Amino acid sequence: MHLTFTLNGNEIQVEAADDRRVVDLLREDLGLTGTKEGCGTGECGACTILADGESRLSCLMVAAQLPGAHITTVEGMTAQTDGALLQQAFVEEGAVQCGFCTPGMEMAALALLRQDDAPSRDTIREGLSGNLCRCTGYVKIVDAVERAASDIRSCRDRENT
Amino acid sequence: MQKQPLAAGRPEIRGDAPTKASGRERFAADCYPDNLIWAGAVRAGVPHGRLQAVDSAAALAVPGVLKVLTAKDVPGPNRHGIIHQDMPVLADDRILYPGDAVALVLAESREALRRAIKQVRVVVQPLPGVFDPEAALAQGAPPLHQEFADNVLMAAEIRKGDALQALTACAVVVDGEFSVPMQAHVFLETENGIARLEEDGGVAMTVSTQSPFRDRFEVGNALGIPYHKIRIVSPHLGGGFGGKDGATVQCLLALAALHADGRPVKMQWNREENLAAGYKRHACQLSYQLGAKKDGTLHALHCQLVYDTGAYAHLGGEVMELGMEHAGGPYRIAHTLIEGKCVFTNNPVAGAMRAFGVCQPTFAFESMMDLLAAKLGMDPLQLRLRNALVKGDVNCAGVRLTTSTDIVGCLEMLQSHPLWRQREAWKRQAPANTRRGVGLAAVFNAAGYGGKVRDAAIAKVELSPKGAIVVHNAVADMGQGNASAFLQIAGHILGQDASRLRLRHPDTTTAYPSGSSSAGRTTYTFGNALIRACEELRARLINRAGLLLAVDSDRDVRLVPGKVIHPPSEREMPLEQLAAFMPQEDRVCISQFVAPICEQVPDTSKGFLIGFPHVIFAYGAHLARIEVDALTGAIRVCDYLAVTDGGAVVNPCMFDQQVQGGVAQGIGYALMEEVATHEGAVRSGDLATYLIPGALDLPDVISCAFQGREESGPFGLKGVGEVALNGPLPALANGVADACGVRLRQAPLTPERVLAAREAQQCI
Amino acid sequence: MRTVLTPSCLEEFFSLLDAHPDALPMAGGTDLLLKLRNTAAADARPVLALGRMAEMHGIRAEGEGLSIGAAETFSGIIADPLARQQAPLLSLAARQVGGPAIRNMATIGGNICTASPAGDSLPPLYLLDAAVEIVSRRGRRRLPISQFILGPGRTSLGEGELVTRVLLPRDGCFPCQSFEKVGRRRSMAISVTSFAGQARLDDHGSIAAARFAWGSVAPTVARFPALEHALVGARLDDETIRHAAEIVRSGVSPIDDIRAGAQYRRIVAGNLLVRFLEGLRG
Repeated sequence: MHLTFTLNGNEIQVEAADDRRVVDLLREDLGLTGTKEGCGTGECGACTILADGESRLSCLMVAAQLPGAHITTVEGMTAQTDGALLQQAFVEEGAVQCGFCTPGMEMAALALLRQDDAPSRDTIREGLSGNLCRCTGYVKIVDAVERAASDIRSCRDRENT
Repeated sequence: MQKQPLAAGRPEIRGDAPTKASGRERFAADCYPDNLIWAGAVRAGVPHGRLQAVDSAAALAVPGVLKVLTAKDVPGPNRHGIIHQDMPVLADDRILYPGDAVALVLAESREALRRAIKQVRVVVQPLPGVFDPEAALAQGAPPLHQEFADNVLMAAEIRKGDALQALTACAVVVDGEFSVPMQAHVFLETENGIARLEEDGGVAMTVSTQSPFRDRFEVGNALGIPYHKIRIVSPHLGGGFGGKDGATVQCLLALAALHADGRPVKMQWNREENLAAGYKRHACQLSYQLGAKKDGTLHALHCQLVYDTGAYAHLGGEVMELGMEHAGGPYRIAHTLIEGKCVFTNNPVAGAMRAFGVCQPTFAFESMMDLLAAKLGMDPLQLRLRNALVKGDVNCAGVRLTTSTDIVGCLEMLQSHPLWRQREAWKRQAPANTRRGVGLAAVFNAAGYGGKVRDAAIAKVELSPKGAIVVHNAVADMGQGNASAFLQIAGHILGQDASRLRLRHPDTTTAYPSGSSSAGRTTYTFGNALIRACEELRARLINRAGLLLAVDSDRDVRLVPGKVIHPPSEREMPLEQLAAFMPQEDRVCISQFVAPICEQVPDTSKGFLIGFPHVIFAYGAHLARIEVDALTGAIRVCDYLAVTDGGAVVNPCMFDQQVQGGVAQGIGYALMEEVATHEGAVRSGDLATYLIPGALDLPDVISCAFQGREESGPFGLKGVGEVALNGPLPALANGVADACGVRLRQAPLTPERVLAAREAQQCI
Repeated sequence: MRTVLTPSCLEEFFSLLDAHPDALPMAGGTDLLLKLRNTAAADARPVLALGRMAEMHGIRAEGEGLSIGAAETFSGIIADPLARQQAPLLSLAARQVGGPAIRNMATIGGNICTASPAGDSLPPLYLLDAAVEIVSRRGRRRLPISQFILGPGRTSLGEGELVTRVLLPRDGCFPCQSFEKVGRRRSMAISVTSFAGQARLDDHGSIAAARFAWGSVAPTVARFPALEHALVGARLDDETIRHAAEIVRSGVSPIDDIRAGAQYRRIVAGNLLVRFLEGLRG
């Protein structure tokens, strides 16, 4: 099918089989390999993207669900200030080890921070509970999200004054 | 603004963090060459038998399928392995476990590949299988490997003094039987790679591998290709933990490339294939007897360890060897008799996994220490302090410790921590239907390959034409951050900031053999070689700059970010300019390091091939504060403290990363991870049934470093990649005993086992 | 390649179903796409995506109760003020389905029609006396959920039928409501045993009314109406609680599977009731 949707702020048109998995469409057809596949069954969260502002698992989405959707992948994160601050916090707080869970983790964290701008550590863990990491034990990832929340609030406060 | 050079000892930002955080880092899985062919294996699906036929007619009829290869298409001996070449690339006669690859399908699309694999018909004449070491060792068990009598890959012992006699002289003796299951690595990036045939008949590959240099031998030996014609690049791995040590996709990929008419081939195991056919941690049964004097001095240990190595040898003997060296814990014990058997079964292949062979006996001996403490009426921390090794002691394997040994320091730091000091008050505040407990573990883990193996590295560092410092890494970075550590070391010695430092991923064409990324050895071994190479490069750059700046003495010539300066004359030269004056051969420095070996090998061991003994150990003291839900048996880890002796700390952030990550995998091992099998086939075949801890299952692990120094290590460090994983299982088991009075001896400590033990003991 | 058809209204849905009677309905896709991953790929049945039909969306008052679109996601239910107010037990359970992204995708209609013995929304829906509204060319009908779900993976949905709404009557007055899910992990876990409970105490602190439902311990949600009846007027002493738990333990029919043994599930089913009843004592 021929589909039109918005990807990282730009309208794009692609040809894809109806049932092509969105994770494959992103990685193989569009060359956006930032979104990863870790299990293909919705258990690990490595394939997390934002669709219409909500986190979704692209390994359990098909192309036919894309028309009209606004999709954000890790490649489009830094176009917004909060995404850029979150990514920087991951880098600086030691939240990245092997890095394979990182894009999905950042997407889930971004979705969380857009719903709750001052989450407790427990709320952060809850928000990341659908994203598996095998390297970090999550401690520094929670540190990063906590720090990003603070950075984003400060940035917003400065903008408002 | 002045740029700051990287410095050892500071928590510098990891060099790979920006590209990984932005999704720009290209893992092997992210490589999709043009015109590629997909390759995938057909697996036997039966645990033991003789291969009779492979019928590929239906598979070949699937549109998009190009070829179906079988053993007859494999040139060369068709056998690979690390120590023993016993694994077929494609089975030609014997099937030894359900994951044995029987055919290799080449197709235009993943969809066609998936359909074709299901259509290949494999005919196997079944043979009786054995699914645990007891069955494999029993009279009349089917022999799985002709060269190994009685299905025993290795039988070995470590004997120091006369343990059997000494036990009779002990004031107190405790005994216990323990069992730990197979564990899966569950790296998020599954096994994968790409390969292409080259014009000279060689094969070029990009693989998610921990051992690109050794892989060439495995592939070359199996397929009859000269090893130097196999070129392997290993990008950053999305996790390894030992499961990518030893060929996974490599032989199959090379075989596919040989039959791909020059097209590039890609193979990516999906999660189900990773769980079914990937390597695992050895399951183990342990039987322990530990005796002490009345004052708590450990006096005698007799233990028997039986490791299930599965269908093929992989590194089974070496795993067991290391476990046996650690079987007595980080303690002085006068008499030890440690017996080990590593046994073949028709179970999935057990190979290398972080805390290689060691986490199994750690469960046993740290549980035994608490049992002993209870029987002696001694505080468990005091018992450990009384017996903890110090430098100069002889350990349970009979090796005199000549390197840094700071387990006492770790235990003392734990002792002064509020989590320990306030434990009784904390326990008293347990909510309704909850029991609180506190558990300790003293752990250690050797780094390096050990005796009779060359443990060495060759580092290459280069000033690029553009004036950047390029480190040619040769040891794969699987997430532990060794590449970043190397950039930090290079930055420290050459006075450069992160923007001037580049990493080249391990590439067998341009880097030099430096062993595998394993055994907690890479920062230590390659780091030491790199220090020498960087110091040579620094001296050379200063000398050449001195020449070009026309100064009469190099004494005051210095490297600072981006340039070389001579403050007395105020002359300076940007690195790009310096590079332009230097021929290529002058801009490259190569140096090497061979890790120290034991100078006085004790005569205590029998039966090992390689590995005995090790000489450098990391140590740790762990404390877990847990809650047991009396109604469901669920264990919640409320607090976890890990104090680690890793010598000096070169990057405190990366140090904590290793400890927190090791503890996380250890908690998974303790509470929920078990590869469930039935007749050799994995039943926990996806991530819904093989569970690893999520963000809600783990506390904020507190990592403290005991600040020590290992003289032989780069900037004084020791490898800490593995030691932390050993702590949680015994610490949690000891915590459960403290909370409820039940002693669990079988891992994982599932809610079901906790509840059953409480019911059996009629706990309130 | 599998065609995905996306009707935008019920009429279009039924036309497509007429043309493709073997089409596979998909709401959130979190169950269906997993099943398709494991099936023989030769199957070319089209998928009927249900997400764009207005009839399947929205959470609104209906009479004194609530009408929830079958394609409403668990996130939508959690966020909805009406649902939180009128069906707090459902909101509680919704929070424990899968993880955050799964909750954004998985639907209540899907959870019901998948009819897994471990479905997290099911025990609360049984307690809330939920009914499903089923639409076909022949008209509409409503069925209590306990009659709609027949067994593991089986419902009474017929040919040409679609569940469009989940109807909850006015919530009885139960000030004490609880949902507990026991899994092998604290999120992204299929439940090993789950429990939903509602209770109201009288002025003496005895039970005025209480209702319970269990998941994962029987082919469908387990209820104990006789026990609920017997507890009316009962005092919340240890003996009552112990006895009630015993009845539950003997009455459930769990199985052994890779996650847990039947005996464990049996014990925990009783214990979850113990926790709830002890909690009422305050």
